[in-house]
Amino acid sequence: MPWEPISRRTLLRGLGTAIALPMLEAMLPLNALAQSAAKARVNRMAFLFIPNGVNVANWMPATEGPLELTPTLASMKNVKDKISIITGLSQHNAFALGDGGGDHARSTAAWLTGVHPKKTDGADLHVGISVDQVAAQRVGRATPFASLELGCERGQVSGACDTGYSCAYSSSISWRGPSTPNPHEVDPRAVFERLFGNNSPGETAESRARRQSLKQSVLDFVLDDAASLKKQLGVKDQAKLDEYFTGVREIEDRLARIEKINADPAIGDKVPAGVPPTMREHIRLMCDMMTLAFQADLTRICTFMIANDGSNRSYKDIGVPEGHHDMSHHGHDPYKLDQIAKINKFHAEQVAYFLEKLDGIHEPDGTLLDNSMIVYGAGISDGDRHNHDNLPILLAGGGAGTIKQGRHLNLDKETPLNDLFLSMLDRMGVHVETLGDSTGRLTTLI
Amino acid sequence: MKRSIQQIAEPSRPARRPLVVTTAALLTLALPAASLLCAAAPPARQRAHAAPRHSATPAASAADAGFNRAVRPLIQKYCVSCHAGKNAPAGIDLASAKDASAVLKNRSAWDRVAQNVGNSHMPPAGSPAPTKAERDGLVEWVQSTTSAADCKLNDPGHVTLRRLNRAEYNNTVRDLCGVDIHPGDEFPNDDVGYGFDNIGDVLSISPLLMEKYIAAAAKVAHAAFQNPDDVLQPVQLNPPSFSYLAQATRVGDHAALAAQNAEVDCDYLFPTAGDYVLRAVVYQSQAGPEAAKMQFKLDDKDILSKNVFNAARTPMNAEVRMPVPGGKHKLSVVFTNPFHDNTDYSNLPRQQQRNRNLDRRLNVKQIVVLGPLHGPNAQSPLMQQLGNPQPDAAAAEPESRKFLAEFAGRAYRRPATHEEVEKLVHCADLARSKGESFQQSIEYAITAALCSPNFLFRIETRPAVAPAPAKSAAKPAVRLASRRGVKAKAKTVAAPATSAKYQLSDYALASRLSYFLWSSMPDDELLGLAAKGRLHDPAVLEAQARRMLKDPRSRALGENFAGQWLQLRGLANSSPDTRRFPDFDEGLRQAMKTETELFFDSIVTEDRSVLDFLDARYTFLNEQLARHYGIEGVQGGEFRRVPLTGDERGGILTQASLLTVTSNPTRTSPVKRGKWVMENLLGVPLPPAPPNVPALADDSRGPLVGTLRQRMEQHRKDPICASCHAGMDPIGFGLENYDAVGRWRVSDGDGSIDPSGVLPDGSKFNGPKELKQILLARKSQFIHCLTQKLMTYALGRGLERTDKCNIDSIVSGTMKDGNRFSAIVVGIVKSEPFREQRNDKGD
Repeated sequence: MPWEPISRRTLLRGLGTAIALPMLEAMLPLNALAQSAAKARVNRMAFLFIPNGVNVANWMPATEGPLELTPTLASMKNVKDKISIITGLSQHNAFALGDGGGDHARSTAAWLTGVHPKKTDGADLHVGISVDQVAAQRVGRATPFASLELGCERGQVSGACDTGYSCAYSSSISWRGPSTPNPHEVDPRAVFERLFGNNSPGETAESRARRQSLKQSVLDFVLDDAASLKKQLGVKDQAKLDEYFTGVREIEDRLARIEKINADPAIGDKVPAGVPPTMREHIRLMCDMMTLAFQADLTRICTFMIANDGSNRSYKDIGVPEGHHDMSHHGHDPYKLDQIAKINKFHAEQVAYFLEKLDGIHEPDGTLLDNSMIVYGAGISDGDRHNHDNLPILLAGGGAGTIKQGRHLNLDKETPLNDLFLSMLDRMGVHVETLGDSTGRLTTLI
Repeated sequence: MKRSIQQIAEPSRPARRPLVVTTAALLTLALPAASLLCAAAPPARQRAHAAPRHSATPAASAADAGFNRAVRPLIQKYCVSCHAGKNAPAGIDLASAKDASAVLKNRSAWDRVAQNVGNSHMPPAGSPAPTKAERDGLVEWVQSTTSAADCKLNDPGHVTLRRLNRAEYNNTVRDLCGVDIHPGDEFPNDDVGYGFDNIGDVLSISPLLMEKYIAAAAKVAHAAFQNPDDVLQPVQLNPPSFSYLAQATRVGDHAALAAQNAEVDCDYLFPTAGDYVLRAVVYQSQAGPEAAKMQFKLDDKDILSKNVFNAARTPMNAEVRMPVPGGKHKLSVVFTNPFHDNTDYSNLPRQQQRNRNLDRRLNVKQIVVLGPLHGPNAQSPLMQQLGNPQPDAAAAEPESRKFLAEFAGRAYRRPATHEEVEKLVHCADLARSKGESFQQSIEYAITAALCSPNFLFRIETRPAVAPAPAKSAAKPAVRLASRRGVKAKAKTVAAPATSAKYQLSDYALASRLSYFLWSSMPDDELLGLAAKGRLHDPAVLEAQARRMLKDPRSRALGENFAGQWLQLRGLANSSPDTRRFPDFDEGLRQAMKTETELFFDSIVTEDRSVLDFLDARYTFLNEQLARHYGIEGVQGGEFRRVPLTGDERGGILTQASLLTVTSNPTRTSPVKRGKWVMENLLGVPLPPAPPNVPALADDSRGPLVGTLRQRMEQHRKDPICASCHAGMDPIGFGLENYDAVGRWRVSDGDGSIDPSGVLPDGSKFNGPKELKQILLARKSQFIHCLTQKLMTYALGRGLERTDKCNIDSIVSGTMKDGNRFSAIVVGIVKSEPFREQRNDKGD
């Protein structure tokens, strides 16, 4: 059996341990190797979102040039040379622009789209397509999953989310289309099963093939049903049914792609047990899932909402018994500012864990972190002012040798955040002219 | 006539324009709804040109006279100094309103004007303001004028194609396949619009959800043919719901029994007589030579005695399987061999001393009931229907057709067409051809049906003009009615295919009823009435709604409607600071939720006056919650109805669930409480903060100082903030006697609570009792608000202006019928928006 990849079970045993296994070339499935030989280095992108803005003074470095870590970001010291802080970026379309309150919902929906969300409680959701989905729709077919959407908090389950805005806005940074948010998965176990659960242990190739073909015919059946139904529907209802078509087709596509990759069916015994009791573990497990997905090349595009905007969760474990949102309206109260700094520091520590984990995995050309672009930040700068300019944005990873790191870049005020995204899309091999309110590319990344 | 209108128009403007608009707008009122949906639509204007003018003018003059009397002088005097021009605040330009036509043309904006003037939000505090009589006059004229115009449109609205949400999916597969396994709990959250998670416009299908649908369908299809005992969900009774006798105490997640005959017990309502597994999950804290001994009792009779050797890490399942008669029975666990170790361990190393238990204890983590069991040979409902699971090859296809036709008719909630059934039969054939067994092939076809849009979506397309003749290809292959010995009748269809709206089919109505009141599929009775074509009869609709409200499945209204209206679902995410509120634990959280659920259910099932929501002389408590409220005489974990005396408690505003969910982790939030009351009890949507609000942290102002109330009063001095906060904050202050977990208090640390307030209309109150009196005095406003919420939930769409007259008539009907809950429900299901659908043109 030449070219039989090393069992993924071996790989998965590394999950949850502090030191990840090195990625051996022999573990790469044949086609992944072939791809990497034929093409340029694989690049990935991930977007990690935190709510309610930050304690700006403690977050942003005071000096430009070589990166000096602020107290909030001190935990990044081991990956300091592989990250940069970019200040001056603005998400202009998150501002009210005449729409009044609702900054939390608006800044969430605008964060990766750069489009001003239409103020509605539901009837006519409208914002743009987000940067991750632009990439997913163009290069997502290279991997079994076009993109992964993760989060730690489910959307709100009742009531109004933010004055006049549907909850769809405030719980989604990833938008497949102007009116279709991508929900995120909050249970690490469900993520794991989704990534690796396609095959059951000990199943013969024949039985797997039969199961796949039966699954395919279920899809054929429902597509046929949907096609007959569509003829009877009006305009708006057809749009709803189109979402259904898209969903089914995406699964069809994936069935075909998974077959090609023929991943090892064995699933290790380190399957996450569900949603862990502490926020720290929860964030870290989700980071593990992203790492695994990148490492096994199951996807190259992730979004992760560490918490939903407006979240009023308390962080008792780190000495913040008050609600996050409540504290973020600090009114310059030193106590509240301090509590916000604690929360910012806590989040940064978990992100540092993720970045170090990526950096510990070696690929043919550098580490996984070297071959990724990780954006970490918020859609609100100062939680008290609800402003969306000078956003706290950290960019980590070498972008497969395309980004110079270890700096604090202080860009011109009002530089659109989408200019950064456009520059990242280039580095994913996705060339689009504009994205949301972009005005061009950032030339200073390299 | 022409001249009089010209006189109102500004002299500088061409005289013709206002006249044309006036005529157009007024003609709109007279045109049949079928041809006209929007007053400003171009066709209306064209018609207006053609119409003889004299037909509109008398009405115009009456309307304009009203406008000139009740509206125009006020807006000129009090409003136009701000509300003028293109950039008028909130986009409301009143300076350009010259006559009644301006109001009719822009009805939404004028509704807001009436609302904000009526509730004294406008003019802002500090500006010259009209008298109460002037306000009332304006509101009355605007509301009656716009409402009359809307009513005449007779527009039922359009509900966007809805997929099942998570709760509906769970209940539907339960009722369809007989398996209560909640696969929807693993779906991503349903997005919320207009306060509810069943709104067609916001319920989308992502690829992730589609993937979960397929996995859930396979799981349900498989479980549907298992022995029902294998997929039975155990009922877990936990320490917070136990009663504690003789030195039994609750310690965190378990009950600790230390003394002779220490006991915990709980009541459980066994749904039917049958075999049950009764299980106590126990472990011991070891001391002395023996293991802890326990007795497990049913109604104080021993059913099991055990020595418990297990330690905390690996608790023991002490269980017994036995027949139990239906009804309420008491389950108890008793400790029978206490022991105190008198040995002197002082010479042992400290670590060992510390690890030694001096008292032997029996600990109870849970009592579990599983059943009623069906026995090893039992068959699931679908298995019974399938009959022979291994027919011979020749019979397989006809058998599958018979089964699948029946199944699809229930899954699609209407008779399946011949073509639909054949497709499912083909799925099953295909599976058998690949070597699957007959039963597996059926499971496989069911999986396909459960992934079909016909199952996942609630489809309400215009019914065919006449049912296809029996011999055509599209004949209904399933005759649900004939299954029950009734012949399917032709459905009557009111409107021709070209009209702007249509009556829902009886099957679509059956689903509207069942998803509204049960969050689940229609039962056989509803489908049977639909098959007979009788459901659209208003009397039948009413009778069915009343029957359904009495059915236990109406508990879904509490879970899903009240869960969202009263924010009970949000309680799971509340995280009160346990250092400040040490009594708050999971038991209390659950008890708070249960109180409100039982209270809501009591109003539904006893068909009480909805004013009981605002103030009632009873509630439902267990010992823990009663202690939390400082109410004596309630012992044990079981909830029971408790009469209330005194002024502290009564109605939802005084229930800990709502008071906690509208608080911050460390303190109350009068703003959140006030906002909740305004939006959810009074139906006053708070206008969004106006644009260009100065940033809160404008450095020049410096931080606000003082107590919470003082700081908020500073905040309210800013007239921009005041227009909303003057309404919200006093209501919140009126509830300040309840702390952030709903306990009664008269002081807050350093200062005493001042629960007094003045509402924008000048009404004063001191404390929650008087606040409730004010709310009760506005009962029509409250019933209006509740009706709007229920209507939104029932229809699955945001309300439109044209719904207003339907709501008005439901409210007046309800107020004539003792304000009863059922009156609102019956009013809704008989209303046009519930029974009809506007054509979907993408608007």
